[in-house]
Order: sequence, then C-alpha cells, then structure tokens
Amino acid sequence: MTRKHGNIRFSPGWLFAAALAFGVLLVYIGTPYAAPKQVASAKAGDCAACHGQEKVFSPSHPDTKAMSYKDCLGCHAKGGPQMLQGKLPGSHLHQLRGVTCEKCHGKVAKPEAVEEKLCRTCHNAEKLVEKTAKVKPENPHTSPHYGTSLDCTLCHRQHAKSENYCNQCHKFNFVVP
Amino acid sequence: MSDDIGQKKGLTRRGFLKSAGGVAAVAGMAAGGVAVGARDGLAAAGSMPKKWDQGYDVVVIGTGFAGLAAAIEAKNAGASVVVIDKMPVHGGNSIINGGDFCAPGTRLQKAAGVQDSPDLMYKDMMKAGLYLNNPELARILADNAGGALEWCEDYVGAKFTRLNFHGGHSVKRANQTVNASGSELVNKMLAKAKGLGVEVKTRTKMERMIANKDGRVVGVEVKTGYRYPDEKTGKTAYIKAGKAVILTSGGFSNDITLRQIQDPRLTEKFGSTNQPGATGEALLAACMAGAMDVQMDWIQLGPWTSPDEKGFGHVPLFCERLVGYGPMIDPATGKRFFKETGNRKERADAIILIGHPVIIMGDSYAVPKQVFPRALEKGLENGAIKKFDSLEALAKNYNIPLEAFQKEISRWNSFVEKKKDDDFGCMIFPEARPTVTPPFYAARLWPKVHHTMGGLVIDKNAQVFGFNLKPLKGLYAAGEVTGGIHGAVRLGGVAMADCIVFGRIAGKNAAKETAWG
Ligand SMILES: Cc1cc2nc3c(=O)[nH]c(=O)nc-3n(C[C@H](O)[C@H](O)[C@H](O)COP(=O)(O)OP(=O)(O)OC[C@H]3O[C@@H](n4cnc5c(N)ncnc54)[C@H](O)[C@@H]3O)c2cc1C
Repeated sequence: MTRKHGNIRFSPGWLFAAALAFGVLLVYIGTPYAAPKQVASAKAGDCAACHGQEKVFSPSHPDTKAMSYKDCLGCHAKGGPQMLQGKLPGSHLHQLRGVTCEKCHGKVAKPEAVEEKLCRTCHNAEKLVEKTAKVKPENPHTSPHYGTSLDCTLCHRQHAKSENYCNQCHKFNFVVP
Repeated sequence: MSDDIGQKKGLTRRGFLKSAGGVAAVAGMAAGGVAVGARDGLAAAGSMPKKWDQGYDVVVIGTGFAGLAAAIEAKNAGASVVVIDKMPVHGGNSIINGGDFCAPGTRLQKAAGVQDSPDLMYKDMMKAGLYLNNPELARILADNAGGALEWCEDYVGAKFTRLNFHGGHSVKRANQTVNASGSELVNKMLAKAKGLGVEVKTRTKMERMIANKDGRVVGVEVKTGYRYPDEKTGKTAYIKAGKAVILTSGGFSNDITLRQIQDPRLTEKFGSTNQPGATGEALLAACMAGAMDVQMDWIQLGPWTSPDEKGFGHVPLFCERLVGYGPMIDPATGKRFFKETGNRKERADAIILIGHPVIIMGDSYAVPKQVFPRALEKGLENGAIKKFDSLEALAKNYNIPLEAFQKEISRWNSFVEKKKDDDFGCMIFPEARPTVTPPFYAARLWPKVHHTMGGLVIDKNAQVFGFNLKPLKGLYAAGEVTGGIHGAVRLGGVAMADCIVFGRIAGKNAAKETAWG
C-alpha cells in the first residue's frame, strides 16, 4: 500500500528508511526535550556539552561557552529584572559559581542524591534568615510553624524546577532560585 | 430568630441517625468489590509480608498532637516507638493550628476570674454536638483536659499565655500558646519525643494495615522516600508492630472525593483550612482491616474564613476575637442576621443560606484590644482585612445600603450598652463597648471545610472498635481520625484537648499490649 501525501508518493520502504534515519538521529542528539546529559566535566558556560543541539537561549543571546558567572552578571544582576535566580535550575547556578557536580556528589561513576545536611555545610540556616529578613510578605527562611527546621529541598531543587512550598496554603510571591 | 435557622430543612443534616459502615462499603468497592464484613475486611487487608524490613513495639502513624502524645507515653512506658508521616514536614494540621487549647479550671482562667468546671465543659460539648457525642468519651475528654494542659506545660514545656473565647462555649476557656500557633506545642513535643529516643520518619506513607489470620493488627505496609503527592514515588517496606499500631493520621477535610461521598454539598468549590495531606486513605486502610467508622458525614465548615485569602489565613483570628465585641452584617441588607457567638455549624449554615460572603467588623477600641497584632497586620497587608475612616466608607466599599446599616449599628450599640442582644441573643462581653470609634476594620467571611468530626470508633482505652462489635486487637487511634467524641459540632479549641487526652491514653495502652510474636 502506498500513502498519498500532497503530490509525493511514499513507498513503505522509503518510509521505513526515513523512520530509521530519524530514530538514529534522535538517539544521537536526543529530542529537544529529552533530559540533558549530565556531563560532570562540562565547563559551566558550555551548554551544548549537556544540552546538545537543544536551543537553550534565544538566538540573540551571546555565546556563553567561555563565560564565567561574573560575566553573566553584566546583564543578569542579582535582584534585577533579568536575574538568573528562579530562572536557571539550582545546579546551573552552583556550577556557574564553581560548585561543580563533584563537589556535592563526589567523584563517582553514578552520582546519587545527596543528603540535605550537605547543603547546610555551605548554607547556614541562621545566616539565611538574616539575609532574607526583609523579603515580603514573609521571610521565606523561617516560619511560625517550622522555624528553620525545613529541608532546603522542599523549595530549592537542583535538577528540577524549584517550588514555593509555602504556597500550598499561602500566597507568597517568592522568587525561588 | 436564631432558632429559625436551625429549623430550615435544607440546612439541617440528613437526619440524626447515622449508620456506621458507610466508609467501609466504599473501602470495599475500592478493594475490588469485596463485601466488607469483619472477616472479609481482614481479607481485604491482605496477606502477611514474607519478611519485615523494620520492627518496633509501637508504630505511630502521624506526627501531629495525637501521634506525638501517644509516642511520648508509649516510649515512657518502655516500648520502642517509631512515628511515621507521609509528608516531607512534620506536624500535620497541628502545626498550622491556632494554638487554642480548651480546658476547665486552668491557671489562666483563675487569673481572669473565670468560673469553670469539667461539668460545664462537658455540657457545652454535648449541647453543641446535638447530644450525638459518645457521652463516655466526651466525659473522659472534659475530665482530663485540665491535666492534659498541665502535662503540655509542665512536662513538655510549651507556654500558654492568653485566655480566649470561642463560639458555643459558655465561658472563656481557650488557653492559647505564646505564639498563637500549635507549632509551640508540636515542636516541643517532637523535641521531647526525639530526646526520649522515639524515631521519627517523614516521607513515609502508610499504604496498608496488616492483620494476621486471627484478625490482629500486626504492622503496616509503607512507602519510604515517598514524595507527596506523587504516588509513583517511594519504595515498599513492611514495618512490624510487635505490640500495636496507633493511628493518628488526622482528618480528611482536604479529601474531596471522600468528603463529597459523606456530604455531597462539599464539592471542590469549597476551600479548606487544612494542610494538603489531610486526606482519608489511612482511615480507609483501617476500615479495610476491620475497623468501624462513625458519623463520617458530620463535616465542619469554619464560619470565620475569608474568600479573599488562601487556606486558614488571618481572618479567622480577626473574626473570632471580635465576636461578642462587634457585629456580623449581611452586606445585601445592611443588617445582622445571626448570633455572632453561635457555634460553628449554626453560623456556617446561616452564611451558606444567605448565599454570599458576609462581613465581620470592629472599631478602634475592640480591634486593637482583641486581635493578635500580627494577624491584623498580615490581614491588612494581604487585603483580606480592610480599614475605613468612617462607617460610610465601609458601607460604600461593600455595597451596603447605608441608611439601613447605620440604623443597625445604632441598634447593635444599644444592645452593647445594656449587654443584652434582643435580636439574636449574642453573648456580649463585659468589656465590650459600642462600635463607634474610627477607624473601623472589616473582613468578608465565607466558610471553608475545617474539621471532620467522624472517624474510627474507639473505646475508653482508645482501642479501635471493629465491625464484629469487638475491640480490634493491636489497633489504637486518637485525634481527628477518630469519630463520635464531638458529635455534630467540634467546639473551637477542643481538638487540642481531644488529641492530647486520647493520644496519651492510646500510647500508654499500646505499650501495655502483650507482644504477638
Ligand atoms: C488552620 C487550623 C487551625 C486550627 N486551630 C485549632 C485551635 O486553635 N484549637 C484546636 O483545638 N483545634 C484547632 N484546629 C483543629 C486541630 O488542629 C486538629 O484537629 C488537630 O491538629 C488534629 O491533630 P491530629 O494529631 O489528629 O492530626 P494532624 O495534626 O493532622 O496529624 C496527622 C498526620 O498524619 C499524617 N498522615 C495522614 N495520612 C497518612 C498516611 N497514610 N501515612 C502516613 N502519615 C499520614 C498527616 O500527614 C499528618 O501529618 C485547627 C485546624 C486547622 C486546620
């Protein structure tokens, strides 16, 4: 059986070959939305190392391959309208600032989820409370319910979209890096 | 007049005779259409695991007031204890609660010169509960609430500093925590429990209650590493309960399917004040193991919540401190419509009957005197509470017919002067003054689902009762997951007393069980 599509006739053999080629291509570069590879040795600004051909920037964005976090801040000042916090996954911000995969996961072939305690070796809970004391309408790092006892990962995700946990019951417009 | 409301047919609940077993029937359907009698129920609870992954004398499900009270007592009685919770955080509804603990004859009552007694508290509970309360359990609660509060203060170290009133009580008897939140008590109980050596595991969801061939509850099937609400997460594990399981999994106000089966009015259109995990699967799992449920369709709506903020919010703390000081107005007529100090059910039903949000208001004498400053500040900030320079401005904002409204306020003020409400019999407090001093504060009210009075049947030992009309061996329960103590209406501040009194009883008795093997 042949299928008619516009003026062109496709034979089953042709279709099969095309499908196979497309399949091979998919395996090779990954679909645009497939999970990016997690290449531990990738330079922070080298998006393609993990994302392949996936377009992670608008066409007008400068090439970031050789950039460091400081270079990003030229346009994306923290607290400004273009800030990266809340836009980039946490792991990327970490990576850009020199906290590489290995620093949390260790030098291992198959990285595993780390314990939350590890976050607190760099991020002191009390200091965070001070730092965000003026955030409105509430300080996100302490609460009348849980104090400072909550897991960082309730909101801050490294390899997935961060979340505003408070908003299950409240309506706080926090930017969650 | 207030009596009219209660008599309107559409408002009263579907008769007072509730048949037990409604939930179990549903549970049976969920288990694949198995008819659930006592025996079949046990079958539905499924088989024994080949191997237990962990074992404790006592396994407690839920980290709220009831669970932690049970864990502390069981541990102190010599049992090894684990407390699990499906959520990534501890505390359930207890840690988001308002911190009001009702008990008679307390230190704060004495300081305020309030005369009270267990008898009076019992009478208030029974009256509000339409005498559907299990009288034996209600009696135990009223008699032991004072001791439970002292235990929280002296043994746990929680601080209670303010005496409040709640609608439906005949005196001020709510002893409030220092931070106006249940967290004061939960966090101190959690620290105490951990200090005693109780293990606490969050992200661990109870999936199934396991009974042996004799129908005795012997453990639970859980999912560890569970990431609420993703049901695909977590790893199956079996926890053996050498002596007993204590179910303290809270109410099901946020379980839209289950609550709608019980009360079809409570569709997703009604918000809830509860934490998102306040759902009924643990209760149903107990039913599938043969536990009996009672009064599941008495579900309480809070009459003091606002449609202008999410969840419980700040308005309840504004509204409840103002009743007996300021009037509640129907904006469509400019008039009062119900007894402000009435119980929750009466008031919520009255508002639903009106069909649109109503208004609670107070002046600059009552509001600063009565309302917790933080609640006022936060409510003003999020816009749910509003401030007006004049009654005219207030009326204009809510589209209230001005003349009728002004007349009604004068009328209310005359009642306040003589401390007697001729229209609705509202309790007017001795320190109340006429509502005349600007600026005025107001908030809109629309009910949200707040508390589930029904749940598992327990006896005076907090042991769960089975469909075979016998105590179900190896299973205890306490707190909001149980039913029948409050009857038709759980009065404000009585849940804390309920959880601590019966949580402690459950813990002590669970530890006393003889081990099954
Ligand atoms: C906003 C708010 C304010 C309130 N204010 C007051 C007040 O001031 N005074 C008063 O007396 N009462 C008040 N109440 C009511 C009272 O707080 C609750 O009835 C009480 O906290 C219930 O305690 P509990 O221990 O039974 O359950 P909870 O504290 O709800 O704890 C139950 C726990 O069990 C867990 N759980 C459920 N299912 C499972 C499962 N399958 N596996 C593992 N874990 C599970 C839940 O995640 C939860 O953490 C308030 C309630 C709310 C919502």
